[in-house]
Amino acid sequence: MLKVDRTVPPPPGEIRPFRFPPFLRARLANGLAVAAARLPGLPLVSLEIVALAGGQFDPEGREGIAAMTAAALDEGTVRRSAIEIAATAERLGGYFTTGTDWDVGYLATGLLSDHRVSGLELLAEVALSPTFPEGEIERLRQQRLAEIVRRAQDPSTLADDRFQREVYRGTVYAHPLLGDQESVLGFDRDAMAAFYRRHYTLAGSILIAVGDVEPEALLREAESAFAAAGPPLPAPAPPEIRPTPLSGISVHIVDRPGAAQTELRVGHSGVPRTHPDYVPLVVLNTLLGGKFTSRINMNLRERHAYTYGAASRFVPRMGPGPFLVNASVATASAGDAAREVLHELRRVREDLVEPEELDETRTYMVGVFPYTVQTIGDLAKRLETLTVFGLPDDYYTSYLQKIAGVTREEVLEVARRHLDPERIAVVAVGPAETLEPQFAGLGAVSLWNPQEQLEPVQQESV
Amino acid sequence: MSSSATPDLAFERHTLDNGLRVILHRNASLPLAAVNLWYHVGSRNERPGRTGFAHLFEHMLFQGSEHIPTHDHFRLIQQIGGVANGSTWFDRTNYYETVPAHQLDLALWLESDRMGFFLPALTQENLDTQREVVMNERRQRIENQPYGLAGERLHELLYPEDHPYHWPVIGYMEDIAAATLEEVRAFFRTYYTPNNSVLSLVGDFQPEDALARIAAWFGEIPAGPPVPPVSAPLPPLGGERRAVLPDNVRLPRVYIAFRAPAYGHRQWYAADLLAAVLAGGKSSPLYRELVYERQVAQDVGASVGPYESAGTFMLVATARPGVELAVLEEALLRAVAKAAAAPPDPDDLERARNRMQTDSYSALQKLESLADLFSQFTTYFDDPAGVAGEAARYLEITPQDLMDYAAGWCTEPERVVVSVVPHA
Repeated sequence: MLKVDRTVPPPPGEIRPFRFPPFLRARLANGLAVAAARLPGLPLVSLEIVALAGGQFDPEGREGIAAMTAAALDEGTVRRSAIEIAATAERLGGYFTTGTDWDVGYLATGLLSDHRVSGLELLAEVALSPTFPEGEIERLRQQRLAEIVRRAQDPSTLADDRFQREVYRGTVYAHPLLGDQESVLGFDRDAMAAFYRRHYTLAGSILIAVGDVEPEALLREAESAFAAAGPPLPAPAPPEIRPTPLSGISVHIVDRPGAAQTELRVGHSGVPRTHPDYVPLVVLNTLLGGKFTSRINMNLRERHAYTYGAASRFVPRMGPGPFLVNASVATASAGDAAREVLHELRRVREDLVEPEELDETRTYMVGVFPYTVQTIGDLAKRLETLTVFGLPDDYYTSYLQKIAGVTREEVLEVARRHLDPERIAVVAVGPAETLEPQFAGLGAVSLWNPQEQLEPVQQESV
Repeated sequence: MSSSATPDLAFERHTLDNGLRVILHRNASLPLAAVNLWYHVGSRNERPGRTGFAHLFEHMLFQGSEHIPTHDHFRLIQQIGGVANGSTWFDRTNYYETVPAHQLDLALWLESDRMGFFLPALTQENLDTQREVVMNERRQRIENQPYGLAGERLHELLYPEDHPYHWPVIGYMEDIAAATLEEVRAFFRTYYTPNNSVLSLVGDFQPEDALARIAAWFGEIPAGPPVPPVSAPLPPLGGERRAVLPDNVRLPRVYIAFRAPAYGHRQWYAADLLAAVLAGGKSSPLYRELVYERQVAQDVGASVGPYESAGTFMLVATARPGVELAVLEEALLRAVAKAAAAPPDPDDLERARNRMQTDSYSALQKLESLADLFSQFTTYFDDPAGVAGEAARYLEITPQDLMDYAAGWCTEPERVVVSVVPHA
């Protein structure tokens, strides 16, 4: 019988090596890039086309066209109606879906690996020959408008939207990805078809395939499924997005009378995913608000019990995505919670972090990495990141080494360079009557209703 | 349906002298180990006036034990690259962590310390903090969410006051505020015993070695008394129940619920399959009718709760602006009536069956999910092999089973309708 000593952490056993799963990157004869990885064990496969067609390409006045174009791709092809596309995948036990973020648009299907050729053919058909049928587009537009109405009742969404509006004023990132009531009425099917032709070119796209399938076999099958594609046009380059730095601390209250709690956001614009400081920044953020034992969560949740949980992140985008802290807090504590967040941002810019604290953060980040590549979806997302941000094949291996090498001095340096608690937006969504007095003295306060209209009577500055 | 591979779900099963059941499943695809503990206690072991206690208690188990200082549970796990969490449900509470495989002992140390040596670390201060945290959790997840109170109301109407599914897992605010230290102690002594628990281990380890370690860490914890049985009498509803909930929403939504047999019964699988037939996916009949064709709904869904004492079959649809909820209610009820009167369209049945198969495979992808399933099937049915058998249960279900469930259970006097509408 083994004897155990409960008074100290047990010594670790022999470390088992981790290697990032092997994957293949290639290009089909027609120019379509492919990234494929085999994940054996379960008879499933995920197939996805990712195109450089995200919200960053929304023209002014047509906000939401990227998102709606993606949503319209599976509304009909030269061969199938919207319902037939869904039914084809669903009859095989799978799904077919499309979507967008700020960087890319995507079409994806997931099914049993035995059916992958059917999946590839469906994916190719929708990617290459969508017809944007008038009737379906109108239904989709009405659904969008209803979705925009629904978003205005969700406190978390209201907070995110107001935050974007304030931090990215005058840039494409300021609007909601879905657009708004007016902009969604401002483009027709022809405009969407034109957006599609311009941005869903195979030259700017990638096929990502992960699951129980040999990458080489998949490559052959993809070659045949996508053979019909014509010669690819070059993809337009992403726009340069340059937010104006904020001019101080500003507070934006979105009034939800009677709300049970307050949604809080604190932040400003950050850096593109490809910024050379990205790795030390992620280490900084993990320590600050990126894990349960981070400074911000321990302060707001375990020390003050203001919230069920608080977190911070640098959102990875091709352009300068936001740095933001988010928490749902007890309304009576919202002002204090915001001040504690600012306190933590100032503190991490003032002094070197404790050696032990940095050590724990680095070992956490390196140790947890295998946990984050367990599923087909996990691995597909990693391959997408490599491709979209133009990272080398050995990126994840060197990423882990780089994390292990980040120093206290680098953390302080990037905190000073990329966090600015004196030029920052604070958004609070909750009962304005209770919230407003709590922010007195913190910065200029503006008051909004959930329909995004400024309520000027009560606007005040400090 | 053919498939190229059957997942390897072989396991070993052991029982320690103190009654702790242990399930071991080796999967060395990544250098990780997932440790998962189910305690067979949930909100169904509470009583009216003391609701939410099982969940508040779960929070307390992260506040340290005799050899683990208050904030160290997460810290110790995270600093070696592990992740940890817990959750509470009607019938059970689970605690789990995934750690690098060479740190298995650390996870076993933490879990065995709180099973065996929890009480010495209990303080009023920690209880006060966690009561506040949980009240914020209730506000965040329920009260401040659009439609957030609908599920609670549905259960209150579907189950009588003395039935343990009547109240919400997270509990009512005033009950959470009332919890005392003495109640925490009594709850621990009654329910947190090795004989009321299952430990599942999935990942990169040698079973013999892992079992020896588990025995070393958990073997000395004494067995507790048998757990008091839960009484869950469930007379028929005997008349439709309705409620209208004004909420801070813009689009009204209707929920329709019926009871279903307990999880594990053949008719539970019939109910679950019926939910997938009616509204599983964009090509399902309800989605087609309400969203694509008539364009009266923003979304529609159907689901069945896998509870130990009784199931809950639920349909939900959100109205498009300007559409009356009566329109949606009529369509949902018509679909249910049709399901009782005639077999499903063969294409819809095939779609639903295939979906169940891919869903059951997808659920096996993460080590921690697989470990959770081993604990689940062992806790509810004393049958870890049920993990591998789950997908096949759906294949046994016939069109007649679907009709029998709909005709026998989804009747007007057994129905609950909750409408969420914008504040006047």
